[in-house]
Amino acid sequence: MNHPQIAVFARLAKEDTPYLRSIEGQRSLLGRTMHDIAFDNIHDEIAVTSPLAQAILSFRGAANGEEAPLRVIQGDKTQIKGVGATGKVSIDPVNNEILLATPDQTILTFDRLANGNVPPKRVLGGLATQLYLGEQNTGGGNVPCLRVDPIHNLLIVPVGGYGGGRVLIFDRTASGNTPPKAFIKGPVRMGNQFEIYPPTLRLVTHTRGNIEIWRIPERGESAEPPLKIPAPLGRQSNDIGIVLDPIHKEVIIATAAGNNIMTFSVPEVFE
Amino acid sequence: MHIKRMKTGWAILALSLIVMGMLAAPLPERSPRLVSVLHLPVELNMCEPTLMAALQQGIRDLPNAEQQEREAKAARSAGARIPMRTIRDTAPTYSAIAYDANSDEVILQDNNLWSYRVFDRLDNTLGPDETTKPKRIVQGDKTALQFNNGLYVDPQSGDIFSVESDTGDKMVRFPREANGNVSPKSILHTPHRVYNIAADEVKREFFVTVEFPPEVVIYSKDASAEDQPLRRIAGDNTGLDAPHGITVDDKNRLLFVNTWGHHSNFRIAGTGKYLPPAIQVYSLDASGDAKPLRAITGDKTLLNWPAAMKFDPDSGDLYVANDIGQDILVFANASTVHGDVAPARVIKGPQTRLRNPTGLALDRKHQELWVSNLGNASATVYPLMANGDVPPLRIIRSAEESKRSLNFGRTAAVTYDAIRQEILVPN
Repeated sequence: MNHPQIAVFARLAKEDTPYLRSIEGQRSLLGRTMHDIAFDNIHDEIAVTSPLAQAILSFRGAANGEEAPLRVIQGDKTQIKGVGATGKVSIDPVNNEILLATPDQTILTFDRLANGNVPPKRVLGGLATQLYLGEQNTGGGNVPCLRVDPIHNLLIVPVGGYGGGRVLIFDRTASGNTPPKAFIKGPVRMGNQFEIYPPTLRLVTHTRGNIEIWRIPERGESAEPPLKIPAPLGRQSNDIGIVLDPIHKEVIIATAAGNNIMTFSVPEVFE
Repeated sequence: MHIKRMKTGWAILALSLIVMGMLAAPLPERSPRLVSVLHLPVELNMCEPTLMAALQQGIRDLPNAEQQEREAKAARSAGARIPMRTIRDTAPTYSAIAYDANSDEVILQDNNLWSYRVFDRLDNTLGPDETTKPKRIVQGDKTALQFNNGLYVDPQSGDIFSVESDTGDKMVRFPREANGNVSPKSILHTPHRVYNIAADEVKREFFVTVEFPPEVVIYSKDASAEDQPLRRIAGDNTGLDAPHGITVDDKNRLLFVNTWGHHSNFRIAGTGKYLPPAIQVYSLDASGDAKPLRAITGDKTLLNWPAAMKFDPDSGDLYVANDIGQDILVFANASTVHGDVAPARVIKGPQTRLRNPTGLALDRKHQELWVSNLGNASATVYPLMANGDVPPLRIIRSAEESKRSLNFGRTAAVTYDAIRQEILVPN
């Protein structure tokens, strides 16, 4: 964490393969505690937060070296709050939106092209939402990452932290004090990130040595157990990262404490 | 043109996925198939001596990497899925360095494999494929070393102090002769997000930078377990915006702290802002919401993710490991300068072999400057008064000469660029 770069590797990189490029330095505005990162494959952009400065940064997809972000969302109109809590960001490239959860138990949605000190275009929050997104304690505390299913128009929000809990499923454009339309009963355990595969309505996590594949319900509560695929990581910590490569039917896992990026072949996710 | 074509391709793919989802998504009543489950224990289950030593000092959260690796091996033997590819660095990643004048040894902190390695001062790695074997390696779960990146060697006892930047929240203390997988002689619980360490040997105090919430925490040098700080420098007036490197001028009773300029109050929404990097100068006795006496900041300073710093009381020079600048900045008359000043000397260039320098140590006995290079698994040493594109006097390498480290420092998130088929990993 002494060097908060974003390193970019070829998909087929292995042990000791150098990164192709790295985004870094004062001009990049990057800082520590990047607990989530999103790639927009339609507009060829990267979205990430700079938690110590309460900012959302958007870079061009091929950004390299000491490159400044294209856009910065930051300031008193944004409602962005916290530090560890500000580590997660999600992007919905189909609908041109960037999403962020806050320790004020709200989900902020910004226009993808928002820049500067701008208010969110939607705020989801209130008792009826059943959102519990963690609490910001003295500098610590994490909120969950969020994912959007643009095919079924769903916003997927896990609640309950690393210990596992329910997953709330909202209409993608839910705003204000709106209840979820569906639930995964769980407990669904996950690290910093989870992923979804919209074509088959699947949610994918890694926990306790297993890749877990859950069905995402569109209405009501699902109590179905997940498909568990044993895939131990070795040295790791709970706050791992995960992303899918649908083209090659692979699941890519960042092991946090392990300082490793492991790629597993998991066609089951995509069936 | 190529990118435009790729974008178009992705838009088509996205639309295809939508159509595929509508046509081919499984029926709602179809359940996932449970193919197999291996029960992998994840509860912390440390070996007994480590646990006892830790508990005696009030520390519970020691690493259990060895057990995790054993369990993973056993599970894979039993049929668990094996990764097709693993991106990892097999070499140490040197985040910090210290010099022990009594033993003429150099200590290198390894942020990747969770160790520190001790070398002789005169070690010199020659051939391009050679590496130098350390005299001692302190590594393993008992050591409690994790993502450590601050080192200090006690000039009298030779005890080695190491601070942790992330999950461990500890300062660990080892005797000079420690070797192997051994428990520290003491552990101090520190705040989260510590970066570097310095000492005032006159008053026997440690100064520790905490990146966020930003502060400098001052402990007695003998503090251990849950001992509390003697005082803290923290507050809106301090100018401590993401503090990193720290060093002491005990002759003039000054404290230097460099900052990256990332500012916010985590309790208040929308307070984030970016300020230029700076070196803040405080009284060594500063406490509370103390204003810096002055600041060295501005474009002329060349500060770019400044890391460790060292003050030379003989010359009054302040040395700064300037990570992204790929150089060492030397500010003359550091006890008095302020504002937008250029460094008096800059060690930089291809002959220096510097790559992401983040650690510094001064050897005043032999008039040498030691640098740890995060980016190529090496330490390089220069004459103390070096300037410009100078080759190192000697180099200690733990990887081949062409090594480019991955610079991983806790890979806790990942994303995938399907356009270029690339994996993006933030630290």
